[in-house]
Amino acid sequence: MAARAARPPKTTSRRARLLRENLTAYALISPAMILLFIFGIFPVGFAFFVSLHRWRRFPGDYMGLGNYVRALGDLTYVLFFWLAVGALIYAAVLFWRLLREDNPAERRRAFSAILPGAAAGGAVLTFVGWSAILLPLILNIPQRIRGQERVPGLFVNELFASFQMPQAADAGNLFLALLIAALILIPFWRRLLGGEKWDVHLLYAAGAAVAAVVGVLLMQLTLETISAAVEAARIAGEALPVWSQIILISAGVGLLAAAYGLWTRAGRQDSSDRRTLITALAAVVLLIAGYLLAAQLPTALAAADRNVISGFGITVMFVLGTVPFQLALGLAFGYLLYQNIKAKSLFRVAYFIPYVMPFVATSIVFTLIFGHRPLSIMNQVFTSLGLPLQKWLLEPKGVVELLIPGVPDVLSGPSLALIVIMIYTTWTYIGYDAAVFLAGLGNIPADVYEAARIDGANSWQMFRRITLPLLSPTTFFLTLIAVIGTFQAFTQLWIMRTPAAQSSVDTIGVTIFETINSTDPNMGYGSAMAFVLFGVILILTFVQNRIASRSVFYG
Amino acid sequence: MADQRISPARATARKPIPWGTLVIYAVLILGLLQALFPLFWMLSASLMSLTEVTSGYLLPGEMRFNNYAEAWQKAQFAQFMWNSVRITVITLVGQMLVCIPAAYAFARMHFFGRNTLFAVMLATLMIPDVATLIPNYLTVIWFGRLSESLLGFGWINNWPSLTIPFMASAFTIFLLRQFFMQIPEDLWDAARIDGAGHLRFLWAVVLPLSRAPIMTSVTFGFIGSWNALLWPLLVTQTDAWRPIGVGLTKFVNSDAPTELHLQMAAAVMMILPILVLYFFTQKSFTQGIASTGLKG
Repeated sequence: MAARAARPPKTTSRRARLLRENLTAYALISPAMILLFIFGIFPVGFAFFVSLHRWRRFPGDYMGLGNYVRALGDLTYVLFFWLAVGALIYAAVLFWRLLREDNPAERRRAFSAILPGAAAGGAVLTFVGWSAILLPLILNIPQRIRGQERVPGLFVNELFASFQMPQAADAGNLFLALLIAALILIPFWRRLLGGEKWDVHLLYAAGAAVAAVVGVLLMQLTLETISAAVEAARIAGEALPVWSQIILISAGVGLLAAAYGLWTRAGRQDSSDRRTLITALAAVVLLIAGYLLAAQLPTALAAADRNVISGFGITVMFVLGTVPFQLALGLAFGYLLYQNIKAKSLFRVAYFIPYVMPFVATSIVFTLIFGHRPLSIMNQVFTSLGLPLQKWLLEPKGVVELLIPGVPDVLSGPSLALIVIMIYTTWTYIGYDAAVFLAGLGNIPADVYEAARIDGANSWQMFRRITLPLLSPTTFFLTLIAVIGTFQAFTQLWIMRTPAAQSSVDTIGVTIFETINSTDPNMGYGSAMAFVLFGVILILTFVQNRIASRSVFYG
Repeated sequence: MADQRISPARATARKPIPWGTLVIYAVLILGLLQALFPLFWMLSASLMSLTEVTSGYLLPGEMRFNNYAEAWQKAQFAQFMWNSVRITVITLVGQMLVCIPAAYAFARMHFFGRNTLFAVMLATLMIPDVATLIPNYLTVIWFGRLSESLLGFGWINNWPSLTIPFMASAFTIFLLRQFFMQIPEDLWDAARIDGAGHLRFLWAVVLPLSRAPIMTSVTFGFIGSWNALLWPLLVTQTDAWRPIGVGLTKFVNSDAPTELHLQMAAAVMMILPILVLYFFTQKSFTQGIASTGLKG
């Protein structure tokens, strides 16, 4: 107490205290944010940059969409066309949101945000452009100084020299000019015309500017690639119907979405006649969409890399064969653990163990349990059940083919080797899912069950009508995590794959790793594949979010 | 206690013959068997002779503890274990130094752009590792060249490439922030009256209160670091810094592809530290899962 009394009263103004708090906070977060930027955010742009280059071990020439065309064939044009259109649409949406104000004065203020917004967006864009010019120069330093005498400061000198090279210096000056313009314009504008929602307006305006420029650049890149491909095909004497492909595949995907929309609408109709009618309509639309896609996709993918296509196919089978089972079993065990039982925490701790154990070690155990020898544990089980011996992880044949010999390749299903890896992956995640489901169940208020019991509901009805809907946020979360994680699974596949299984377990993750971890690595091509995978995961997350927004119940 | 919560099974549990409860226990024990059998067999097979393993025995005829010594020798586990320990310790110390201050700032300080930066940080959790793998590899190579010329040591085949990219963990920051936010405001008011600033408060009040969440993040980090395979395969070409996961894979694939009993012994040795850590921290660990639903 005495110490406090002796302290002189604080005279620092509020402003100075705010400034100090800001500076301290930034000092505290900057190590984390810098590292997260270098290894978490910047790599996304960097990966795209690498994927546009002929980049084996070292950076090479710019080659446009060549890596993507090699991976996906003509489908690349469709995808990038829509990526560009999407960016342009997003710019329009942001612009529309900016000017949506009801109040005319507020609308004028929003309108005035366009100039400072454009300056800020321009600064961001020129910064990216500057980085894109600097990157190869900086990355090439090790090659430039190779063979020179090792002087301690050489690398740093070269680093500074890179910034001063004419092409980089021009871009850097442009960025600095726009940055200064933005920094001068924004406070002025805020004081004169800003209004209360100045930050939102500025964000929308800058976002619209960035999205518009990105959209235009992507569209230019796509159109250039398409016209070059059409020209090359014309010289070779072939026809390349890119535009009809784009239109037909887009129509197919659009109709698919329309069919889904109709189907959900049908469920909400009151009269059964209308429900039947709309369901039938949805079926017809679905058929047309399916026909369009089935007719167009094979030709669009004809020139694609076989490894990429099979990689994605195997990944999809892997996800479909893992995620639903692990969630269903996890829910079952989580629900049973939630009951009034003894030794609950013992069960929970034990169930959780497979998830905590290193994948490397447990994969090896599964390799032996599912060994190809006649006396391996699984083959002993099969023998005692009177079933034929299996080669398990060494079996490249599809399971359907093993059950019904002679089915066509398309229908042969995942290979038995992949099934074993699916079983392993499910095994590792059941306990984790059960633990999260158990936590979710604990959040359901008990009085809901009490009320249902008074109304005479049986336990199945309570599970179906109360537990499942109230648990849907947990289910949604687990599905999202599981799909993202399984799509990029690597460790177990890498350890359990055998030459005998003939790449029947090579998911896209394994394919990417093989491309970059060989004696002749191809960083550009690997990045292109990784970027496509990233896009697929993003789209899946988006679709899951859309579906969840309709069916998840946040009580 | 959660066990005393009214649950749907209670009605059936009061009946004379609790068939429902018996079925529940039967299924739960079945689940226990499927979860633990592979681990039990790993332990059992690690004590067998090779012929016993290939003949698919469930229990060894005689306990061959010598398998462990042999596997330890053959797999050069002394080297790999030491590597993994070094990597894990450096990663975790760095992670705590980087993440605790950031989590504190996000939880308890007001600064310009806090929510935006926090959202950006969380967004990095949604970016799949595959997308960042190649660029990070190139970045690490480049940083290695830079540090070679400035400091005299490279990053590839060395500790920085295996530890520095993992020091900032958005997951750990998120986990710790959730806890720091729950610390009562009264404590901060009292500390401020006593003349303490944020740093003093963090060091003297928040950290001693946060042993449990810090232990949880350390466990997560330990498991992640012990488990690593893909990234170390990429950034190491010699055994000097290769972690245990790479060592075990190498042992299984090239050193002892046919000596299955030794493989099992090596796998048990890899699992053991994690198992011990898990049993000591399992309570806060499962609570960490329940409150965030995420692994590192």
